[in-house]
Amino acid sequence: MLWIAIRMLTGDAQKFYGLVFGIAFSTLLITQQLTIFVNLIERGASAVYNVPSADVWVMDPVSRTTDVNFPMPATALDKVRSVPGVEWAVPHLRAGASVRTGDGDLEGVSVIGVDDATLIGMPRRMAAGSTDVLSRPDSVIIDDVGTTRMFEGGQDPIGQRLELNDQRAVIRGVADAIPSFTSQVTLYTKYSNALNYVPGTRNRMSFVLVGSADGIAPEVLTQRIEEETGLRARTRDQFARDGVDFIIQNTGIPLNFGITVLLGFIVGVAIVGLTFSLFIRDNIKQFGALKAIGVTNSKIRGMVAAQAGLVGLIGYGLGVLGTVGFIWGFSSNPTFKGFYIPWQVPLISLGAVTVILALTGWLALRNVLKTEPAAVFR
Amino acid sequence: MGLLPQDFSFARKGLPIVAVVGLIVAALFIWFGLPERELEEPEREPPRATGELANVPRVAGAGVVEPSSETISIGTALAGLVTDLKVQPGDYVTKGQPLFAVDTRAIRSRIAETGAGVGEARAAISEAQAAIAEARAAEATAARQLALYRNVEDPAAVSQAEVIRAEGEASAARERRQTAESRLAAAHARLDSAQAQVASARTELGRATVRAPIAGEILAVNIRPGEYLSTTGGGGNSQSFIEMGETRPLHIRVDIDEEQAPRVALGEPATVSPRGAADRQVKARFVRAEPQVVPKRSLTNSAAERVDVRVLQIIYELPDSDGLFRVGQQVDAFIPARRGRSTEPSQPAQLSE
Repeated sequence: MLWIAIRMLTGDAQKFYGLVFGIAFSTLLITQQLTIFVNLIERGASAVYNVPSADVWVMDPVSRTTDVNFPMPATALDKVRSVPGVEWAVPHLRAGASVRTGDGDLEGVSVIGVDDATLIGMPRRMAAGSTDVLSRPDSVIIDDVGTTRMFEGGQDPIGQRLELNDQRAVIRGVADAIPSFTSQVTLYTKYSNALNYVPGTRNRMSFVLVGSADGIAPEVLTQRIEEETGLRARTRDQFARDGVDFIIQNTGIPLNFGITVLLGFIVGVAIVGLTFSLFIRDNIKQFGALKAIGVTNSKIRGMVAAQAGLVGLIGYGLGVLGTVGFIWGFSSNPTFKGFYIPWQVPLISLGAVTVILALTGWLALRNVLKTEPAAVFR
Repeated sequence: MGLLPQDFSFARKGLPIVAVVGLIVAALFIWFGLPERELEEPEREPPRATGELANVPRVAGAGVVEPSSETISIGTALAGLVTDLKVQPGDYVTKGQPLFAVDTRAIRSRIAETGAGVGEARAAISEAQAAIAEARAAEATAARQLALYRNVEDPAAVSQAEVIRAEGEASAARERRQTAESRLAAAHARLDSAQAQVASARTELGRATVRAPIAGEILAVNIRPGEYLSTTGGGGNSQSFIEMGETRPLHIRVDIDEEQAPRVALGEPATVSPRGAADRQVKARFVRAEPQVVPKRSLTNSAAERVDVRVLQIIYELPDSDGLFRVGQQVDAFIPARRGRSTEPSQPAQLSE
């Protein structure tokens, strides 16, 4: 009986492909837009996730995100180190600077000063070179996306000289890092070098990166640090969340992407609903005939559900495949560096597809169920 | 299409298979595409409080290694060209050992010159002595002649004029002797003076050689033979000529933020590790706390450091550590905090978690 339903469905190729296209398109739209939305606002947290070893970030009470920070005096590091439960603590500097390239161009960069001795604060991996080059004088390491922005001609960045705050800086490595929201060029260097590269204010240290001792939850440790030092401490996940929230609060991105996702949903409902209703109406004689030979309403419900399920499976599969193809196809593009599909997003679009099909199927079924077997003769 | 069965329908069988395969591919892609966000241990060991300090109240500070005598900037008593440099950085010298000498040619010529003055004074003494002897002889002759005239009873035998002349001669001879005697005294005085000048020049010669004020290690030598040193130090550059200090044992000077200073348990040993070798920790013995709280001299190597933080400096003595610590090196120190203070809010309750 279900096979009859499937034959009935594919009998009219135009309507069938129309249905599949409608579902696939709205799946693609919802999944792809949600993916880009999530990745885009997670760029606000990329600076936090680029540091692989810090459990807790300590900052001035007024600092909000990695980029919106207020520096602290140098002894804040010792205060944090004095707190029991702090396994280790190292200084971290993040500041903006202007760099003059070898060609004389001006480029805004963010300078990141990592701890001199341990290099805690560097990203997990290097794209070229090793982090050891930082021990050479005037060394900086550029991030890979920044390379494409600063050296558009495809020059090899390694060995390039820059001028930072009247100081010489030589690029000696490329880090594999997720770019920030603004995709600003990032230069990593040692903390003591960074102090020279960044125009001086009285206090320079932006953050203290902390590793918690074994057996102490980072949340407990943040509370303890805040009580004892009066500074603001956030766990890694909290601070990443702060960066995301900052973007949500200060940009129109959520609204814009929300509208697109809603449009995808509406387009899906419109196309699928219309086509499905037409398809059911066209086949109303067949349904009437089926009823005439004694098929119950519940069987007919099952048939329509099978039709909707097949359309949904194919449409959803193709839509998700399209999203994967999109992300995969653009993965080499620096703008999309580090983009991934959160596993929740396909589930959300699956839910949306289910809602679309349930809604349109229910609307179409109302006619069928009301059909009398006599309809076959009209 | 020969590969496919006869009744194969693309829409009914092909598309669902494509969709299912697509979903599997997508699931794999999503699963393996999830970002790496798990925490990992740092590759290089950061400084950390270990052992008994790990879970008790403590105070952390950054410090610098210094000689136990503190660093001595050797100066020079005399300005001049460096002619002889007797030490190298790393030498261990005893107290009084010569370090370097400035040009002594002028002093040596002065010694020769004043030595000639001594000879001259000695010659003048002998000359004066000879003059005295001569004057004495003349005086004796004149006295005898006068006595002879006086003893003549007959006034006609000796004219009055003869007597007067003899009296005059006797008195002149006496005068000459007295003059010669005073010339002798003057020559003695000149000899003393010349000898004093020789002694003074010899002292200068000694001052031209700079000697070690204490036993210790030469830490830096910033002069080379031929350079001109001025007594005001520096001589154009602000470096000291030679830096030395007692490096057995070494001390460290740990800066503690003034806000943390009341918490420090003074007298307790500190756990110290050098920068870059945090896994090699040593126990350092408490020596003293500086009585003065000073503005933090930052260790960040920045020339224009303007840090408005005051620090208490505490001195610790490092154990013998076989070259692990060197003068000027930065260290991270952890010091136990005072126990039983209300300044640590709810410590025990949190520690139990």
